[in-house]
Amino acid sequence: MTRSSAEGMGGFKDTRHVSPATLDARSYGRALLAAAREDERIVCLGADLSQPTQTDLFRDQIPDRFFMMGIQEANMVGAAGGMARVGDIPFCHSFCAFITRRVYDQVAMQVAYPNLPVKLVGFLPGLATELGPSHQAIDDVALMRALPNMIVLEPQGPEQVGAAVAAALTYPGPVYLRLMVDRGKTNDDAPLVPLVIGKGLVLREGRDIALIAAGIMVREATRAAELLAEKGISASVVNMGCLKPIDGNLVLEMGTTHRAILTVENHSKIGGLGSAVAEVLAESALSVKFGMAAINDVFSEGASLNYLLEKHGLKATSLCATALSLLG
Amino acid sequence: MDITASPSSAGQLAPSESIRQQPSAEMLSAKALALRASVVAMVKRVRVGYLLQGLGAADIFATLFFSELRLRADDPEWDGRDRFLLSTAHNTALLYSTLAHAGYFPLENLETYTKDGSALEVNASERVGKMVEATCGSLGQGLSVAVGMALALRRRGSAARVYVVLGDGELQEGQVWEAALSAGHFGLDNLCMIIDRNFLQVEGHTDKVLHLDPIPAKFSAFGWHAEEIDGNDRNALVDVFARARAAKHKPYLISAVTKPGAGIPFLEGQMSHVALLSHEDADRAQAYLQGTSR
Repeated sequence: MTRSSAEGMGGFKDTRHVSPATLDARSYGRALLAAAREDERIVCLGADLSQPTQTDLFRDQIPDRFFMMGIQEANMVGAAGGMARVGDIPFCHSFCAFITRRVYDQVAMQVAYPNLPVKLVGFLPGLATELGPSHQAIDDVALMRALPNMIVLEPQGPEQVGAAVAAALTYPGPVYLRLMVDRGKTNDDAPLVPLVIGKGLVLREGRDIALIAAGIMVREATRAAELLAEKGISASVVNMGCLKPIDGNLVLEMGTTHRAILTVENHSKIGGLGSAVAEVLAESALSVKFGMAAINDVFSEGASLNYLLEKHGLKATSLCATALSLLG
Repeated sequence: MDITASPSSAGQLAPSESIRQQPSAEMLSAKALALRASVVAMVKRVRVGYLLQGLGAADIFATLFFSELRLRADDPEWDGRDRFLLSTAHNTALLYSTLAHAGYFPLENLETYTKDGSALEVNASERVGKMVEATCGSLGQGLSVAVGMALALRRRGSAARVYVVLGDGELQEGQVWEAALSAGHFGLDNLCMIIDRNFLQVEGHTDKVLHLDPIPAKFSAFGWHAEEIDGNDRNALVDVFARARAAKHKPYLISAVTKPGAGIPFLEGQMSHVALLSHEDADRAQAYLQGTSR
């Protein structure tokens, strides 16, 4: 596709000359493109959301490996299974709700059961959309965690997206990538954050309480730790960017070295990060105070992310209060 | 990794495949008879499995596996093989009989059908081996997998083709029509779909459950070559597969009208999704088939 026709179709900015060193918006699209240039098995499938999933970069630069499947996620996932069986590594793109809940049976039978290297990439995690409950994936982590063979990754932001793509490619089976749309902010100075399957990262070391978070909640958890510090409470912050398999050793270490653990997630309380941590703790001999900051088994509504995080008790101030209450 | 320049044998037909001789009508007749005998024996033995559908589709399977498909039973992972998918996945007394007769595994393995621990489950899974190209059975998914395979094979310049058998009731699944649109859009002339048009689904006649006709016209409108034939006429099947192989620019839909129970007169035309044979009727069916083979 020529530059002019790409512009004519969507008016999107030509991004071919953006420096790969920058970490501004569209970190995922550029990470996928870079990976695909190294490995011709990588193919890119879309469901009418190229620009929102940053795959217009791939579309414009590697058109022979880009497949626009139309608004049909079920067929996209089934076809990806077929492609993987011929030797491709398909990356399938949509919003989180549609690449998980809408196609659950197709993912189960054509991706997870045969343990194929299909990478499911979703945007708009949890509350992160003004479109309302149709597009709010508050159950996607629960669904994907429940599938045998499936890896679930949720990077903390653009600075960890490249590592998430690389990690997905190191695993020869299915992976769900739960990604937040970059809101166009430049972030050139942020150091790259690694992401290894099965490993969490301790971002801040404390003594009293461990805040274990993933995705956009890492930022809120970090702010909450700062607020707690002002009140004389020493909090650790863990970025649990790999939700499955969960880093059980790190969870146990946090449970051993802190008086309390508070999980923080942009997801339903049922089946997500909090559940994964609770499963580890419940099967251990540890006795530690435990709380979950999450969406409390309710559907949400279309509104700004800031408003919804506030409403569901997921802003740093609420997290701080929850942590204090948990510590007693 | 550069897949297009890889030294794989994808797309290269070996001499044995490329000059494969046209099978005689007598050979196909004998194969179809052998498949029907196997189906009856398996269902008789374990008293589960799909009898009428197996008998009904025996001519399609015989024609595919002993005439049309380019396969190597001794090398199930051969890159250049045609891909065969059974989207419904439950017509396995017939599928496993066919695979055994085609040389993928010994005939005596059929005796493990549905036994605990056996890979020969009621719904075919890839536990059987590479010749089960995908685990289907959750209806409506097989055509999508076939579309993906056809796209990937085409990208590699492979001469391999993709064949997928769907049940007619399965056309009621919405995903089939997503995939049908997709196959037409991409012009997948390396894809051939066979509808086992037996008018049979769990609740009864397909016309009563959810009307399907006209099937070929629907697919024509979706950008396919499409035709309806007698799915128990092996000559007609050989001919239509030749037309499908030669056709360009569009995928090929064959609505193959089959008769449940075909080949055994007292079972022909019975309309039951889960018919089981009494021991006496099984003996009677076997006696009939043995008489036919003499």
